[in-house]
Amino acid sequence: MQPLANITPLKPAGAVEVRNVGQVFTTSTQDVVALDDVSLEVKPGRFVVLVGPSGCGKSTLLMMMAGLRQQTSGAVLINGAPIPKPDPNRVGVVFQEASLFPWLTAEENVEFPLALRGTPKAERRAKAQDALKLVGLDGFGKRHPHELSGGMKQRVSIARGLVQDPPVLLMDEPFAALDEQTRMTMGDELLRIWAATGKTVVFVTHSLTEAVYLADEVVVMSARPGRIVDRLTVSLPRPRTYDMLSGDVFGGLRDRIWRHIRKSA
Amino acid sequence: MGGTLGLKLARVAVVVAVFLLWETLSRTGVVNPRLLPSASDSLAMLGELLQRASVRNDLIVTASEVLTAFVLAVPLGAIIGFMIAENRYFAEVAKPLLFFAFSIPKSIFLPMFILVFGVGFAEKVGYGFFSTIFIVIMSTTAAVESVKVEHLTVARSYGATTAQTAFRVYLPSMLPVLLEALRISMIFNLTGVMLAEMYASRDGFGHQIATWGENFQMKQLLAGVVMISVIAIAFNELIRWIETRCSHWRT
Repeated sequence: MQPLANITPLKPAGAVEVRNVGQVFTTSTQDVVALDDVSLEVKPGRFVVLVGPSGCGKSTLLMMMAGLRQQTSGAVLINGAPIPKPDPNRVGVVFQEASLFPWLTAEENVEFPLALRGTPKAERRAKAQDALKLVGLDGFGKRHPHELSGGMKQRVSIARGLVQDPPVLLMDEPFAALDEQTRMTMGDELLRIWAATGKTVVFVTHSLTEAVYLADEVVVMSARPGRIVDRLTVSLPRPRTYDMLSGDVFGGLRDRIWRHIRKSA
Repeated sequence: MGGTLGLKLARVAVVVAVFLLWETLSRTGVVNPRLLPSASDSLAMLGELLQRASVRNDLIVTASEVLTAFVLAVPLGAIIGFMIAENRYFAEVAKPLLFFAFSIPKSIFLPMFILVFGVGFAEKVGYGFFSTIFIVIMSTTAAVESVKVEHLTVARSYGATTAQTAFRVYLPSMLPVLLEALRISMIFNLTGVMLAEMYASRDGFGHQIATWGENFQMKQLLAGVVMISVIAIAFNELIRWIETRCSHWRT
């Protein structure tokens, strides 16, 4: 994994490659094809969003990239190598709400991945501080999750995903439980963090607006069987701003995704 | 036991009122003092009883039975409960049966314990164990089920080993429910041992209480009731205090 990092030290490698991946769930009555011949390539440093109707397998695909689940056929490569089990050095995962440990403070939650590897306390505390600062939570480290708002909790989750400095950050509907305003703010925050760190981000969402607003590229999937039906490059300049939301380019892209999803649902 | 100073004072006032009512009913003769000796007399008797070697001996006998039954029932019940909760097949089979077993009054089995173990230490410990284990199994099952799948997935995604998952996710998730289980188990355990002692025993504090009752020694009986109540409440409150310290995050 390291050679690529040596070539571009400031922008660590983070290529994600999905090659002809299929996933079949065998139930007692029938075989269900969850993913059918899915191929996808995410170049290092890109922000790619997966959208699609419920049951299209977008979260399943993300879990395969995280090494949390194995495909029935095909290959998933992170930095050119398969990921048969979770590898926090290559991949950080940010889950939906309620994934923080409520008995740990914010900084202890962020330190969790480091604690698992036996990183010395002082080093781990320093890294957690840096990560919390990066997500805009400087000074909130001693608080427990129940003392934080929904948006702040997700910032802690992002910090936890980043603390080991993995080249790839996978996000599974991280803002789904937030209210609309917080969601938009968190989107901007995420883009700022992404720009500052140069991570490769693969982001799953139900929100078409969020998809277009955040992404370099939107990958649209269909349900039963889960397939990629379209890929859109979002050419809107960065930094993205709110007035882009009402523009023609934005509306056109969102409509195109919506037509796919309506057909599939 | 939270609450403002006012609430705490109110609670103390209620307890004092109960003792005052007790004292007054007895002193004025509204209730026959032979049936209800006054609170002050009973408390004085309590002091006297604590001096007696035979009473202290009975307390030690009961305490050793209670602790033995507890030390056997809690870990074993916890292990069985954990296995049931972790294995879906086992859980499907055992869970309704456990509910059946739990709903049966345990006291109807007491004569069988006497027949099998004879009157003595083993019978009382056995019956205390039997009274306790079902609640431990059921509470542990509930504790395991209180562990969130999301938290396990997080641990796995950051490469946690089985031991790390056990100590860093299962244990802290389960701790509040486990402490509660410990507390409630002790109530069942103490009830079981006291009942066994009162029903058929040659020693122990329950036996002593039964004897005082049969001999119409009301002062001694009431003193004994106060003593056991204070001990039971003290243990319960100790665990509750640990509970609140360990589960401040549970809101």
